[in-house]
Amino acid sequence: MRRVAAEAVVIGGGAAGTFAALELHRRGVKPLILCKGLVGKSGASIFAGNLVVPGRLLGNTEQQARDTAEFLIRMHNHFLIDQHYARAAGEWIEREYYPELERAGLYLRRDEHGEIVTNEGPVRCMAAHSQGESGVLFMDLRRKQVLQAGIPWLEETAATALLTEADGAIAGVMALDLARGEVVAIESRAVILATGYADRFYPRSTATREMSADGIAMAWRAGAELMNLEIQWWHTSDVRYPLCWQRTQVYPNPIIGSSHSARLYNSGGEVFFDQEADAPIAMGPYTLQLKRLAKQVLAGKARFDGGYYSGFNHVAPDVVTAYTDYAKAFAAVGKSVASDTLETACSAHYRQGGIVVDPATMATRVRGLYVAGGVGGHSNGLIAPVTYDGMLAAETVATDLPRLKSSALPEDKAAAEEARLLALRRSLPSNGVAPAHVKRALRSVMSEKMGFFKDAIMMNGALAEVTRLRDELLPAMGLANVTPRLNYTWLDAIDVVNLLDVAALTIRGALNRTESRGPFYRTDFPEMDNANWLVKNILTPTPNGDVRFRTEPYELPFFKPDFVRRHSLEVDW
Amino acid sequence: MAERPQVAPAARNFGRDETGDSPAARLARLKEGDTVTAHISRWDPGTEPAPRFETYRVPYTKWMRVLEVLTYVSEEIGGDLAHRWFCANRMCGTCAVRVNGREVLACWEPVEPEMTIEPLRNAPVVRDLVIDRSGYEQRVSGLVPWLERREPYRGFPEPLTHPAMAAADKALDCISCMCCFSACPVIGLGDETKFAGPAPLVQLARVALDPRDGIDRGRIALERGAVFDCVSCYKCEEVCPVSIPIVTGSIEPLKALAFKSLPRKSRHARVFLAIVRSRGRIDPSALVLGVQRLTALRHPLRVLKLWRHGKIDPLKTLFGFRLPDIAQIRQIFEAVRGGSR
Repeated sequence: MRRVAAEAVVIGGGAAGTFAALELHRRGVKPLILCKGLVGKSGASIFAGNLVVPGRLLGNTEQQARDTAEFLIRMHNHFLIDQHYARAAGEWIEREYYPELERAGLYLRRDEHGEIVTNEGPVRCMAAHSQGESGVLFMDLRRKQVLQAGIPWLEETAATALLTEADGAIAGVMALDLARGEVVAIESRAVILATGYADRFYPRSTATREMSADGIAMAWRAGAELMNLEIQWWHTSDVRYPLCWQRTQVYPNPIIGSSHSARLYNSGGEVFFDQEADAPIAMGPYTLQLKRLAKQVLAGKARFDGGYYSGFNHVAPDVVTAYTDYAKAFAAVGKSVASDTLETACSAHYRQGGIVVDPATMATRVRGLYVAGGVGGHSNGLIAPVTYDGMLAAETVATDLPRLKSSALPEDKAAAEEARLLALRRSLPSNGVAPAHVKRALRSVMSEKMGFFKDAIMMNGALAEVTRLRDELLPAMGLANVTPRLNYTWLDAIDVVNLLDVAALTIRGALNRTESRGPFYRTDFPEMDNANWLVKNILTPTPNGDVRFRTEPYELPFFKPDFVRRHSLEVDW
Repeated sequence: MAERPQVAPAARNFGRDETGDSPAARLARLKEGDTVTAHISRWDPGTEPAPRFETYRVPYTKWMRVLEVLTYVSEEIGGDLAHRWFCANRMCGTCAVRVNGREVLACWEPVEPEMTIEPLRNAPVVRDLVIDRSGYEQRVSGLVPWLERREPYRGFPEPLTHPAMAAADKALDCISCMCCFSACPVIGLGDETKFAGPAPLVQLARVALDPRDGIDRGRIALERGAVFDCVSCYKCEEVCPVSIPIVTGSIEPLKALAFKSLPRKSRHARVFLAIVRSRGRIDPSALVLGVQRLTALRHPLRVLKLWRHGKIDPLKTLFGFRLPDIAQIRQIFEAVRGGSR
């Protein structure tokens, strides 16, 4: 077991984690970044295609500023967001975020006269270099800023457990250095979890390879509360083939430099979603798209896993290619963005909920544990607000550190975690099962029983299945090769434990929410119920390892829904 | 290294339509129900003396990519095949491998009916198809490829036009996938050269060609990047999965900056100019001799090989050929020099 110490550990190398580390560094705290993949390359931040223009930036009118705020609160979070947090984040994004990025060198696409190119409409966005590729440039910049600052990192090193003191406070992190196959114990009093908004629970997912609910699982085991896990977002227009392109999207958002966007067609060739006409405010019209698709599925004119199409063939091709990379997928399968559509399918996208945090400080109820970004339950993981979270978490850690008492690593817990990890690296028993097969079994359960259409019977069935996978398959799990060196199957075995635990919690959360909201839909409770369920659906760990539920209402100071109950498929958010 | 099974080499990025190597033409060669045969390089350097090829047969699915073959092998048949990927969307740049000898992104490259799959060159193999990126990353950060502003930042949005950014724009497409770094024969020479390599120089060009940048990037290109060691063979451009004009759009402009900044130290450029000025066109052996001087003769076998392949002609060099219109060429030199004063 290798030993390392750090003043603060940031787990995650995406937009939230890198900014938290940079901000800690700026404040004189020495952070260590722990990244399961490669800083700025793994994680979903590279997928940020559009950068939203908030407030009065770039000549936004008062109405556009209001529409943009409403878009975040209503369309993107279905009112499950602290509106004071949303306002503070929006102000910071307008005042600090874009200037900081541009000062550091991010090139926001201009036209020949020097105007930043945006789409037309109530909610505008811009792009770094090219629409669809913004996140790549953005994260490349963050990686270089971290290098330039000399902030140390451990890459391809997966955090596996948070270590706590007898009094419950954070004492360190356990991790696996994948290339060396070495267990690492990191002593630290402060940990910022920034592991992202998605998990690969479903056969199709927008998450990068390594995202597997680790942050949520570790926080839960350390005593943190979770909330709104059931609010699972979907991408409706991701390319169906080739099968590995689960996050290659026919973007439904308006094309910058225009007011146009992609259309969706059912199996009969009829348009069933046209953002320009159907959802002018919905910059990211994902939920409305999904509900329109659900109606097509009910009518037998599409399936969630394919049989419908998306494209830009109603738009002049030079409008599509002027500022975007949207033609790339078409070209790579020998099609033309000017004349063809591509078959599309749903991929699991954001998880709106996550770990319960105080959105004013990013602190959790576990002393020394902080959260930044989509892994938190406070917001869904847009790239600008998650960066705000990183700033906020760093600020709180810098303030709290002098008050967090120093302590030694709890040796017994570290040894137990090392033993758990080594036990997962065992040879495949006869009649054993490979970790990849357990993952696939879980994904199949989730897709059959926890997809868009579900009810209590299906969800109870899913819970029973997940419990069975955990009780029967985990003990039979082993590896075809037990080399410690860069053994991804070993990592799969570690991941699958987290996935099963968090899947079970997610299903329980879904059973507890007896309404439909946003992309979360139950056929046995199809109404959105703002009287009873405009609340946080909170899961608290009990001492005996079970779950206790409670709810907490949201304050609605700026925006509120204009109805009490309505059939969710008839609501446009 | 184990002998690579003989499979028809894939064509280059250039001229794919003409050679039947376009995505559409390649996808038309396979249909669902077909089998893809993959000879994959396997190696655990911790326990095995040398890499070996293992052959796997994978059912073809519509528009299949190389990444799907690798995932199928690692999850269904190979059990433990190590291959790196994160996004499967031509963004993270971590899944590059060599298919039939050519560098490609596994997530973006259509499969061939039969193919070899090997790790990238010019980096140590950690296991199977995964290479150690750290040497490459050190070269990139050694070139300090972050913006150092000429003037203080003036607030958002700063004055800047797209035409002013046009020179840097294509370099911004680089995803650091290392395909070009693997294909570069100069990097393949190892310690014989301090050449930073194509992608690191693209990263440098991003800031060097950015009008907002204010430090002497020509000096960095020369002193830390050994930019004149590029032999303009275009292997990098042939494999770039995002079609960056690496030589013409990044390396040549960096050479120009280096010459402008440190003309005396830009020996390659000076010798090149002197040869053209005295003979009317470039003479490869005179160039090598002029740049490397006597060290050029340290590898007599290499000299003979170059001679045999017609890359150099020492006799011509020795007897000092000259184009008949040399006077006119010198006039051009004088005119250009006069104009640049």
